[in-house]
Amino acid sequence: MASFARYVRFVACAWTALFIMVLALPVSAQQPTRIDPNASAVTEQKLFQEHNRIQGRVSIPDQRSSMLEQPAGRDWRHFRDVTLRWIGGISILGMLAILIIFYLARGMVRIESGRSGRTIVRFSAFERFVHWMTATCFIILAISGLNITFGRPLLLPLINSAAFSEWSQWAKYAHNYLSFPFTLGVILIFLMWIAGNIPNKVDVEWLKRGGGMVGHDHPPAYRFNAGQKVIYWIVVIGGGLVAATGYQLMFPFYLTGIEGMQLAHIVHAVVAVLFVAVMLAHIYIGTIGMEGAFEAMGEGTVDLNWAKEHHSLWLDEQNARTGVNETRRQPSVRPAK
Amino acid sequence: MARMKFLCDADRCIECNACVTACKNEHEVPWGINRRRVVTINDGKPGERSVSMACMHCTDAPCAAVCPVNCFYTTEDGVVLHSKDLCIGCGYCFYACPFGAPQYPKLGDFGSRGKMDKCTFCAGGPEVDGSKAEYEKYGANRLAEGKLPLCAEMCSTKSLLAGDGEVIAEIYKERVTKRGYGSGAWGWQTAYRETIAS
Amino acid sequence: MLIKRAQRQNAQITRGGSALGMLTEQGSGFDRRTFLRRSGLAAGGLTALSALPLGTVRKAEAAVVAGPLTSGATLRKSVCTHCAVGCTVTAEVLNGVWIGQEPSWDSPINRGSHCAKGASVRELVHNERRLRYPMKLVDGQWTRVSWDVAIDEIGDKLMQIREKSGGDSVYWLGSAKMTNEGSYLFRKLGAFWGTNNTDHQARICHSTTVTGVANTWGYGAMTNSFNDIRNSKTQIIMGGNPAEAHPVSLQHLLEGAELNKANVVVIDPRMTRTAAHATEYVRLRPGTDIPVLYGMMWHILKNGWEDKEFIQQRVYGFDDLRKEVEKWTPDEVERVSGVPGAQLERVAKMFATEKPATLIWCMGQTQHTVGTANVRASCIALLLTGNVGKPGTGANIFRGHDNVQGATDVGLDIVTLPFYYGLAEGAWRHWSRVWEVEYDDLLSRFDDKKLMETPGIPLTRWFDAVILPKADVAQKDNVKAVFVQGHASNSITRIAESLKGLKALELLVIADPHPTTWASLAVQSGRKDGVYLLPVATQFECKGSRVASNRSLQWGEQIVKPVFESKDDLEIMYLVARKLGFADKLFKNIKVEDNLPVAEDILREMNRGSWSTGYCGQSPERLKAHMKNQHKFDLVTMRAPKDDPEVGGDYYGLPWPCWGSPEVRHPGTPLLYNTNLAVMDGGGCFRPRFGLEREEKLPDGSTRKVSLLADGSYSKDSEIKDGYPEFTLASLKKLGWDKDLTESEMATINKVNPDKPDTVSWSLDLSGGIQRVALMHGCVPYGNGKARMNAFGLPDPIPVHREPIYSPRVDLVSKYPTLPDAKQFRLPNIGFSVQKAAVEKGVAKQFPLVLSSGRLVEYEGGGEESRSNPWLAELQQDMFIEINVADAAERGIRDGGWVWVTGAENNSRAKVKALVTERVGKGVAWMPFHFGGWLGGVDLRNNYPKGTDPIVLGESANTITTYGYDPATGMQEPKVTLCQIVAA
Repeated sequence: MASFARYVRFVACAWTALFIMVLALPVSAQQPTRIDPNASAVTEQKLFQEHNRIQGRVSIPDQRSSMLEQPAGRDWRHFRDVTLRWIGGISILGMLAILIIFYLARGMVRIESGRSGRTIVRFSAFERFVHWMTATCFIILAISGLNITFGRPLLLPLINSAAFSEWSQWAKYAHNYLSFPFTLGVILIFLMWIAGNIPNKVDVEWLKRGGGMVGHDHPPAYRFNAGQKVIYWIVVIGGGLVAATGYQLMFPFYLTGIEGMQLAHIVHAVVAVLFVAVMLAHIYIGTIGMEGAFEAMGEGTVDLNWAKEHHSLWLDEQNARTGVNETRRQPSVRPAK
Repeated sequence: MARMKFLCDADRCIECNACVTACKNEHEVPWGINRRRVVTINDGKPGERSVSMACMHCTDAPCAAVCPVNCFYTTEDGVVLHSKDLCIGCGYCFYACPFGAPQYPKLGDFGSRGKMDKCTFCAGGPEVDGSKAEYEKYGANRLAEGKLPLCAEMCSTKSLLAGDGEVIAEIYKERVTKRGYGSGAWGWQTAYRETIAS
Repeated sequence: MLIKRAQRQNAQITRGGSALGMLTEQGSGFDRRTFLRRSGLAAGGLTALSALPLGTVRKAEAAVVAGPLTSGATLRKSVCTHCAVGCTVTAEVLNGVWIGQEPSWDSPINRGSHCAKGASVRELVHNERRLRYPMKLVDGQWTRVSWDVAIDEIGDKLMQIREKSGGDSVYWLGSAKMTNEGSYLFRKLGAFWGTNNTDHQARICHSTTVTGVANTWGYGAMTNSFNDIRNSKTQIIMGGNPAEAHPVSLQHLLEGAELNKANVVVIDPRMTRTAAHATEYVRLRPGTDIPVLYGMMWHILKNGWEDKEFIQQRVYGFDDLRKEVEKWTPDEVERVSGVPGAQLERVAKMFATEKPATLIWCMGQTQHTVGTANVRASCIALLLTGNVGKPGTGANIFRGHDNVQGATDVGLDIVTLPFYYGLAEGAWRHWSRVWEVEYDDLLSRFDDKKLMETPGIPLTRWFDAVILPKADVAQKDNVKAVFVQGHASNSITRIAESLKGLKALELLVIADPHPTTWASLAVQSGRKDGVYLLPVATQFECKGSRVASNRSLQWGEQIVKPVFESKDDLEIMYLVARKLGFADKLFKNIKVEDNLPVAEDILREMNRGSWSTGYCGQSPERLKAHMKNQHKFDLVTMRAPKDDPEVGGDYYGLPWPCWGSPEVRHPGTPLLYNTNLAVMDGGGCFRPRFGLEREEKLPDGSTRKVSLLADGSYSKDSEIKDGYPEFTLASLKKLGWDKDLTESEMATINKVNPDKPDTVSWSLDLSGGIQRVALMHGCVPYGNGKARMNAFGLPDPIPVHREPIYSPRVDLVSKYPTLPDAKQFRLPNIGFSVQKAAVEKGVAKQFPLVLSSGRLVEYEGGGEESRSNPWLAELQQDMFIEINVADAAERGIRDGGWVWVTGAENNSRAKVKALVTERVGKGVAWMPFHFGGWLGGVDLRNNYPKGTDPIVLGESANTITTYGYDPATGMQEPKVTLCQIVAA
């Protein structure tokens, strides 16, 4: 029945288009005493003046084929071959550049007061599992996705066509199948952490103080600071968008016609490259950008002093609830600078 | 060197679908794959016109441009062909194609459309001309035999023309001049960035 | 993916050295002419193109390595088995397998072209869904049987029925799909069995045309040709949609219209695909053709546009016509048909003044209770304007099956023996002489002499002949058995009633490449046994001649041998005749090789007996020469250059009449009744078939005698410069031309009628001598008469408008009622009572929409064969009904949604998809008639033997159609009935 529903939808679209065309027909064609079908023949030129595509009727069930011409394909091509590469290139390379410059300028953000040696649980095992599942999927999706956009100019010249096609074929399978765990991860992330990610007044203060990225400031934050909240919402909204548009692309034409497919691809691609860029920053701050951050997701615990400096309000909350009872001794790790 | 093109004279096309079944017949195209189709505009109303459409073998073909694995190539005759060995079935060529030409077998497995299939201008594919391997993947190679696409050769009203672009443009121009009307060389502006002045 | 043609693989293996030769020849031989042809250039455009640089079509590439997979294949030519345009099919055959189709460039008819059906005929032969072996229904199950058992059991049952109920109780339903030889043999089989209940598709397609046209000017056929329409300045297509039904004909129509800047007027209830290419479209209410035609004539007469000289010289009954036309003022025409007077005046003016003008029609005119009258009105319009018998004019009647014209000509019909000789004793005696059997022998086969000379039952009413009380069927007993060889059941109206007939039959034999709806409906009717399926070869597995709509005969080669266990039509007839015990007599002059009668011998026998219609000159040798030399015939005149050694001066396919014996070398008659040519160049005149003069009553009570012979008009070079009657020995003697007869001719004439040789006429003279002598003197053997506007003898000698049985215009029924009930063709026709009851019961209120039906390009006839062809079936997967946008909106019906269509009889209903469109006017719905395999919303797929069900099934339009029969031919009424549509 799904196919029939689809059929009806498309016919409805077709009829709307037809109806509009009819309204635009010269009035003379409607007069009953003189109907000259040849003289009132539709022409390509006229149809294009009314619409940016030409739609008709076909008897085969594949209603996509009722679209006779859609020059908009050329616009989409421009987006894919030019615009997207610029957006992707600038955002990803730009982000990398910013991070490198930032790292060179600022270096790793240290725990200013040094490690206390005492830790506090920051993320449960389940939370970490969800994070890493999503993250792993994301990385593979990103690479396989970037391959579709950048593989041909960057990778193909380096290897032969057959090998590149083989790799791209597997990358496509991976991209399609890993979309499911990724989507699940995004949903779980959304549900798990929604409570801590509602923006509040503290975030305003945090942002005003630039997150304390420069200098030695430590604006207060609850479990998630404004920066993390931004990441959270980017993941939730961005992830939701890429997932939604991705499924539309995976199940083509079930929900929409060609314009919808093109739009879905554009949204998917733009969001995805921006997503990748943002995630680069996220990865940076979670690894070499900040001392003591990685262990939050790595082991689930963070040093008390780290918590004090970056999430003072959260620590207060935790203390108020449970008392300072964290006793685990953290081996002091001194990352090389 | 000839530059092969299609031209459908919509003032002659009667949607008899000979082009469609001739194509099926010549290449044994399976059910569900429509290398060529006829679209009727303004169906049932004065001014109704039908146009037979397949791959137009565009100049600077969008499908080739957007293909992530670069599986398309253009022959000396200007025919746009592709390699099914390289195609990964991503579906991008369909989004880029102004004419809805690319077709994909449904393999039942979501997300994995089969290798793209489309009109070859009866010119086969990258395999050796006239070989069995070529036939099985792409269908007959009539061009190599000195014949033109069967769809156009069998067109009931000689509406669908195939051959050297200059020649068929001249034929069409001649017709339009003689009969005094013509609804245009459908798709030429989009495919070849040119129109036939009449 | 593209795997199916495994044959190609085999082809590769056996490909020999010829491949190389073929390649070099083709690769470099792609010259300018070939290219132009392959590019589909109009002939008219050639000159203008001479300046073009064409050498660069494609550089011949030397590096072709593997070579085409079709190398080594032989090319065989046959004729497309779908419509009657007569497209040549060129097949590539390798190792007995049909591996490909190539364009048939040489045919002057299709010049390489095909429609969807023609371009996919290869699949018909190797189709997986064909019936593979004989089967019979045993306890409701389809069971395989051998040919021997099947023929034995069928034969025994037939004999048993004959014993009990007489020969007329077996209905022999033949086919327009058979070759001429097959159709002729089937009719002959009926004659030897002893019945006139032998019919075929012409009954439901152009029987009214044949009757109407023949009654007007002599022969019931298309007067000109598709190619000749290229000469027309005005083309009126009324009641036809050739763009879908005869697509390749449009090549000639459109190209002609373009070159001549001709008017193309389409008069039809639907704005069809044909209308889309017209210069004027006229929408009329279905079933009002006569008012519209009279409306045109009203304007013609009012303005004096009629061809006065033509009428005076060549037409009888003009004054009677004028009286009828005067009743049809523009107001009345518009009131009845809905066509505005101004538009009709414009069309009338074109038709009468922008000449030559032709009138083209198909089922839209013929399939009505007033079908014969419709056709007559069309002929009258042509006569009135002098648009007959010249290039670019004429009644261009597009026929629907590849050999429906031929099957009609060879008498596979209920009203005549082969070639329109009729059923009178003289006709039987003629054929007994041709067949070299005793007349008494034939007589003894019939229940009585009266039935031998009485027309049989039309196929439209076979089930009435089964289920009506015995007293109502004017023969010894009801019909008890139907032997159907190549005819659909779902193309016949009133399916609900036919189910009762199917149930009541004692024996049903279905000989066909597919089981057809006969099988699925027989099971649905509740039958458990007494049904046999015999697999017949498609026509591509047989050889023989077929007659295209333009009367050209084309010889088709056998492309491949019959596949599976299927058998050639001729072989089946031989086996049946042998079982029934009259094979020796039936095949007295026909060689039978390994149970297969030789087609050429059958054609020669036809040549020997078909003087009346001029099928006497088309010997198998001449026809084969034509197929070989197709490229020599001109596109417009269809004539070969006179100096050609093989086909010099011939018209393509020797369109009948092709007078005299083959040795006379008459070239055929491309345009009937054309006085501008000498008879030996294909000229002719109207045939005086209805007497030489007629007594007319004058208003003052006195009478006068009016001649029915032409007045001062004669064909070119005729030695008689006026009208003349048909030639007999007596008339030759009167003219002193009997001396031109040879001795052996005289001897034969004397043998034909030893008592009164003087009465032997051109059509009975088996020597052909009388024809030869008439031709020698430039005369047409049948005489030179007037065409009849007043066709006395027909139910309505001057056509009269009569509302359909189920009319939406109840207000008009009393003024324009159908003809009174009467007994016709052995059965009562109670149309009048049905019409009256419908009005009284208010059927039009309950079923407010007019329902019409017609063709789709993808399918043909009942459609079981074409719906089994995946290449076609994919293009039309759902049965649908066209409904106007306004009607759909009122009913909440959306495009593509399911609807129930209910009909006015038998609580009939059908579930189909809605196609909401402006194509049909408000108040009119339309269904294609090719679907079958559903009934009242029930899918009958399981009723077919396993694996033989067509890919696409759907409701039959004829589930909804209703009562109504043309009084002159028994034609059904599938074009106008009433229905209601609701969303499902």
